[in-house]
Amino acid sequence: MNTAIENTNSIAPPEVDLSVQLGRLHLTNPVMVASGTFGYAREMAHLVDLSRLGGILPKTVTKQERQGNAPWRTIETAAGMLNSIGLDNDGIDAFLENHQPYLTTLGTAIVVSIAGRTQDEFVEMCQQLDGVPGVAAIELNISCPNVSGGVDFGTDPNMCEQLVAACRGACELPILAKLTPNVTSIQDMARAASAAGADALSLINTCQGMAVDWRGRKPMLGNVIGGLSGPAIKPIALRCVYQAAQVVDTPIIGIGGIATLDDMMEFLVTGASAVQLGTVNFYNPTVSMTLLDALPAALAELGAKSVAEIVGTLRV
Amino acid sequence: MNATGLDCSQHALSAAYYADAARQRSVKIVENTPLSRDTFRLRLASPELASHILPGQFLMIRLPSHESPLLARPFALYDTWCDDSGTPLGLDIGYLVVGKATRLLKAMRTGDSVEVWGPLGNGFLPQATEHLIMVAGGIGQTPFLALGREYLGGRPYGNPGREVPPANKVTLCYGVRSKQFAAGIEDFENAGISVKISTDDGSLGHHGLVTDLLKQTLDQRLGQCRIVCCGPEPMMHAVARIAHEREVPCQVSLETPMACGIGICFSCVTKVRQLEEDPTGEVWDYKRTCVDGPVFDAAKIVF
Ligand SMILES: Cc1cc2nc3c(=O)[nH]c(=O)nc-3n(C[C@H](O)[C@H](O)[C@H](O)COP(=O)(O)OP(=O)(O)OC[C@H]3O[C@@H](n4cnc5c(N)ncnc54)[C@H](O)[C@@H]3O)c2cc1C
Ligand SMILES: Cc1cc2nc3c(=O)[nH]c(=O)nc-3n(C[C@H](O)[C@H](O)[C@H](O)COP(=O)(O)O)c2cc1C
Ligand code: FES
Repeated sequence: MNTAIENTNSIAPPEVDLSVQLGRLHLTNPVMVASGTFGYAREMAHLVDLSRLGGILPKTVTKQERQGNAPWRTIETAAGMLNSIGLDNDGIDAFLENHQPYLTTLGTAIVVSIAGRTQDEFVEMCQQLDGVPGVAAIELNISCPNVSGGVDFGTDPNMCEQLVAACRGACELPILAKLTPNVTSIQDMARAASAAGADALSLINTCQGMAVDWRGRKPMLGNVIGGLSGPAIKPIALRCVYQAAQVVDTPIIGIGGIATLDDMMEFLVTGASAVQLGTVNFYNPTVSMTLLDALPAALAELGAKSVAEIVGTLRV
Repeated sequence: MNATGLDCSQHALSAAYYADAARQRSVKIVENTPLSRDTFRLRLASPELASHILPGQFLMIRLPSHESPLLARPFALYDTWCDDSGTPLGLDIGYLVVGKATRLLKAMRTGDSVEVWGPLGNGFLPQATEHLIMVAGGIGQTPFLALGREYLGGRPYGNPGREVPPANKVTLCYGVRSKQFAAGIEDFENAGISVKISTDDGSLGHHGLVTDLLKQTLDQRLGQCRIVCCGPEPMMHAVARIAHEREVPCQVSLETPMACGIGICFSCVTKVRQLEEDPTGEVWDYKRTCVDGPVFDAAKIVF
């Protein structure tokens, strides 16, 4: 059995099934890249074999174009970074015109991340995406800390439930709900999104944070407050996945500080059916390929023949 | 097509230029030698990178197995280094120690490895000029050694080596705080570049601003000229103003802080005027310095 660890071949042993099922969304493997940390994928085409990824989440789109926040937009912190990008994007029409046609050609599940200021905006965008070639699913970004509006859907369980239900009703596409850790009870939010029929829960978005220049007596971020990401938040993300998995059967996608094979395996065992890589793409652009190469051997080490077999097998 | 295999119209200063030729590699340090006070030259071994990179492009360098600093840092190409037959074996960067990553970099030794991805950014476009005037503030001199050498026909850059219409003269106007910070002057002079220096304290060259040197050089210019500029923002702004007044084309290479260098984080934005749509220059958009720059037409930047 142990020899499998040495074997980090890029080809999966045929007996290991890497595919995962997230509600109605099928992925060839559990390694996705997180929204806002992979641009529109085109930027990465020469560094990463995009067709190998389990799924790609382009940067969140909004109904109208948004300029985003003033610089500085990111600040490095201990084992992480703060960002306040502010959903800088050209709007959904421009996205469908300029980016989706390219994304469609990649042969990878494209999960379009959307954020609205109102429920109507979310619903309209779901309707607009319904039937667009190459869109595999929609992720509702109800958790971005950098914009006013939107985030209430992620902190109030009733609003969250209504929104997810409305979006499910508005289109045929699988719906993922991306939740924020900045709540008192992640379990209440998970229950709400699950009850409304979300196909999967994406946990977590960034943790609110701040950085200060004491000599200048000023905040470092243009937007004063931002979202913390990277290895620093991994324990928080693991805790959220664990708590959510205790109360819902809806599949969970683990996000937060994942940078190594060990990190990814920890999330799977704790209850995530798949993962999204975020900040690590910035400081190790080819990491997704490295993790994909190493996954089969790690599964084999646990004696598993599929990813599903190890999901949520934590012995507490 | 230019040397990176991209259509030049796509590679222009406002273009959707992505990290098309970029590779991520672990590379070995050949040497890490002092150039002047707090300033070092890091020599890296990578024939692959060296044979593709163009003047004005940059790379991201990360210290492996560090979670603090977590992110890589951008550094401009200082120059490539070659064997006796002229085959590029690697590249040099020149860096000033200012913070966390550069302090750690300073302590690295021959044989140590760093994680690198590049070549990144648009770099300088080869544009015909009789007299190229390069204006640098502090460590902003680094992008200009290779560029000056290229314009003087010293060495081709890119794969295959790109052709640049030769300039008759290349001048570096180089402003530093004081004499001890002046770095790499022999490197520039050996490449045939004429160097003019200004210091804030008068310890070397002209006692005053680098823009004084620029004005002087423009007064004595040899035929049609172009300005390229890199340094602290107020300095680039002042140079852009002079260029505008004297109607000389000017490009600036911005040093906006970057988290990824490859266009995926949207943190390195700068305000860029949409002059094609709005000749008044009032309409601007945030552009990513790492993929839309770092080299921009000075007239397009909202300083
Ligand atoms: C395209 C490009 C090319 C460059 N080429 C060179 C080069 O050839 N040589 C060279 O020496 N340098 C170059 N730089 C600058 C270099 O990247 C920085 O000096 C380096 O990142 C400093 O890292 P550090 O960890 O040592 O400093 P840090 O610890 O990161 O801090 C350095 C300083 O930057 C400030 N700072 C930190 N974060 C931010 C932020 N988000 N926004 C604004 N300021 C911030 C800090 O307050 C501090 O004063 C280049 C930059 C760019 C964008
Ligand atoms: C610079 C930056 C931009 C982000 N933009 C988005 C976004 O547009 N939409 C979104 O849902 N999440 C966004 N996120 C959050 C990430 O997708 C992810 O949930 C979070 O960073 C935690 O994972 P990580 O620690 O692996 O980065 C962003 C994160 C960063 C660092
Ligand atoms: S540094 Fe990340 S987009 Fe430019």
